Amino acid sequence: MNGVMVILGRELLAMLRSARVLGILLAVAIASSVLVLLKWPSTSITDLDGTRGRDVFRWVTWAMFTAAVLVVPVFPSTLLVREVRRRTLELLLNSPLSRSSIYFGKVLAMLGFVVLLLASTIPAVACGYLMGGLSLQEDIARMYGMMLVICLQLIVIGLLVGTWTRSTESALRWSYGVTFFLMIVPWFPDALFPGGTSPLARGLQVLKLISPIPAILQMLNQNSLSGTGLMESRDAVVWYLSFAGAFLTVGTLTCISRLSHALLDQSRSQGYITDDQDGWVRASRRILYLVDPQKRSKGIPPLVNPVMVKEFQCRQFGRMHWLLRLVAGCAVLSLLLTLASARGSETRGVEYTGALIIVLQVSLIVLLTPGLAAGMIAGEIEGGSWNLLRATPMGPGRILFGKLTSVIITLALLLCATLPGYAVIMFIKPILKPQVQQVLVCLTASAILSMLISAVTSSFCRATAIATTVAYGVLISLFGGTLLVWVNRNAPFGHDLVENVLRLNPMAAALNAIEADGFTDYNLLPSAWWIAGVSSVLLLVLLYSRTLVLTRPD
Amino acid sequence: MTTASPVVEIRDLSKHYGEFVALDKLSLSLNRGSILGFIGPNGAGKTTTIRILVGLSRPTSGSATIGGADCVRDIAKVRRLVGYMPDKFGSYDNMRVREYLDFFGAAFGITRSVRRKRIDEVLELTNAVWMQDRYVESLSHGMQQRVGIARTLLHEPEVLILDEPANGLDPEARIEMREILLRLAGEGRTLIVTSHILPELSRICDQVAIVAGGRLRAMGSLPEVTRQLSQRRTIEVQLLNATGIEATGNLIRGLLSEDSDVTVSETEATIRCRTSADDEKLGEILKSLVTSGVPVGQFREIAGDLEEAFVTAAREAEAERLTAGAQEVSR
Repeated sequence: MNGVMVILGRELLAMLRSARVLGILLAVAIASSVLVLLKWPSTSITDLDGTRGRDVFRWVTWAMFTAAVLVVPVFPSTLLVREVRRRTLELLLNSPLSRSSIYFGKVLAMLGFVVLLLASTIPAVACGYLMGGLSLQEDIARMYGMMLVICLQLIVIGLLVGTWTRSTESALRWSYGVTFFLMIVPWFPDALFPGGTSPLARGLQVLKLISPIPAILQMLNQNSLSGTGLMESRDAVVWYLSFAGAFLTVGTLTCISRLSHALLDQSRSQGYITDDQDGWVRASRRILYLVDPQKRSKGIPPLVNPVMVKEFQCRQFGRMHWLLRLVAGCAVLSLLLTLASARGSETRGVEYTGALIIVLQVSLIVLLTPGLAAGMIAGEIEGGSWNLLRATPMGPGRILFGKLTSVIITLALLLCATLPGYAVIMFIKPILKPQVQQVLVCLTASAILSMLISAVTSSFCRATAIATTVAYGVLISLFGGTLLVWVNRNAPFGHDLVENVLRLNPMAAALNAIEADGFTDYNLLPSAWWIAGVSSVLLLVLLYSRTLVLTRPD
Repeated sequence: MTTASPVVEIRDLSKHYGEFVALDKLSLSLNRGSILGFIGPNGAGKTTTIRILVGLSRPTSGSATIGGADCVRDIAKVRRLVGYMPDKFGSYDNMRVREYLDFFGAAFGITRSVRRKRIDEVLELTNAVWMQDRYVESLSHGMQQRVGIARTLLHEPEVLILDEPANGLDPEARIEMREILLRLAGEGRTLIVTSHILPELSRICDQVAIVAGGRLRAMGSLPEVTRQLSQRRTIEVQLLNATGIEATGNLIRGLLSEDSDVTVSETEATIRCRTSADDEKLGEILKSLVTSGVPVGQFREIAGDLEEAFVTAAREAEAERLTAGAQEVSR
């Protein structure tokens, strides 16, 4: 127990000393308070049934969930990687502290931070409570308990990822990825293939319960986002807590078992090359990989930007064999989306399915783009290779072009994957062809804007982890934050304000183009394109000027 | 090998960061084919000078040229003339050594066919052929230093600027590094090498420049520099036999000033003096010994070492800093 307290004290103090943590806590407190202000009664009519209080509580709960999903994975995922890189884990493992003390000390320290994070929403929740209609024990205490479990799950995910990854950038990317796949993605298939009693539909309904979203919806007495009658038949809270319990047990045991000297005892790669192997090895690898990653490179071809090639080579999944897998994965995703489009159109109309595809696609863009672009300059500065690039005759334009091209190609592959889904929409309802074309322009604008925001963030930061976190924050604020104004479209925000805010969000413009429910009242196009286009040009100019400054002599 | 034409010329180079003076009117010139050991304590201004030379930093005043190209105005030309190896390797993930070199070759605009040949050549020159398929991030520090040198050589630069190339290397790797640097100088390249491993530098450098507190304290060949900086010289008197060596020691003590140290080794029949006496005074001492019938076998000055010169320069800079600080306080 003493060992746990030693680690807990060290980690928690280190976190609390950071100005960044203070900033995060303040931001969450301010954001939740603003939500209360938005929902504060503006008329003198007394709310006797407590609807307003419950409404405030719902919004603060979703704000808590969003803050948890955005903020919590950052700390545990980078914690172990930093310890390994700074060799402090070696010192800890060589001390009399047991592996479980180290693990639980870290988990408790992170939980300490989580408690502070959740506590920063107490004033907002208290306002909701004062409005009436909420039970302290049944509603508020249970919800905070649920949030603690979710955060605990996020902490274990982060620590687990930290035992596998070698860099903070990769740890962050994987943590957000795993969080996204455990917390958000399970909800999508059931939304895409709604209802039904087939084994597949039942399986998807169970899969959905892995995510905490249905459990929160049930606790808030909100209708399921997909509108299915799932909650009537299953207790989402019990299902989620059972899954979370199993995950925490397995995750904890795995993490403790991996927390050993083996983390530090990695042999250096011997540089295995297929060219030096027997003929049958070469042939079999060629069949297996199509493009063998272990084959000796022939060098950068003429007329190709060397920075672009370097970016692909350095990226963990940038090699040609990985790109082929990405294309194959996108093709499978495309087929699933096509199926979803066809199935969804039978029950809810193509507009609904189209809207879901747009949300899924933009989510993927937001998830992937910071990982691709936020390290493009910050990573080079952090690793010390930026000075080497500066010492070459390449100008800022050439460096930038190579880096941006490598991101654009990857994002283009991702966007192309969903084209068949839209093709099905156009086949079912040919009249939607112009709208689909508008959606594709909006998605392209979303991808370009996301890339440029991440790249500009990168040019202002000196560490990839910071750049990636900031880029995620900005993108989520742009694509998700503006929707908060839309959600409050009836009160307190008026139609004009909501329309103007939504014009900033290319995803909202796409939803408007496909005539998704709730977006038909606005006229976002072509002004949203103009805003996205002008913003992209301004960001590109800013990015170029930053690169110019960074390549010039100090 | 060293020809008369200066390839690197620095004139009154200054660099200020706000109130802090990183470089204070530093001037030096270096001839083609020389190896300059550029030494000084931490924060002396070595890296600042190097960064200005390779175009990564702009001087506050003064000028620096490499091969006639100005380091501020002709950066593009300077970058082609200089091969720069910073103290930090600058690794990329998931990249093999050959790919790493290929990228930098392409960045310097070398065509693919020439690049392949050059990569083979530089790997051969740095004894790094065997690591060409390894991932750069998995290389040990010594291996990375070799790859770093290979990278700087790709575009066949006239001047090589190497920041701490021997830092963190084991003795065997250090010997190899020394051989590589001598081989490069043998090819007619000019080398500027910074290092804290002074015995290593003294073995390969034909020129030494000592900077401290942003100022050049001494420059020249090793004996010249040690003479410039050493306040006391070491004189060794070797006797033919040890008979009466103590009396001879006392005689020398009497002839030298009080701040001199005289040590007598009976087993070696040698007397060593650390003194600030000039050549005239030493001549008088030798004459006295001979006229006194002392059997002098050898009377010679032992060259001072670089470490001593380095420490003297560092102390000088520290004393200046303290004086400046005291003056500031009194004002």
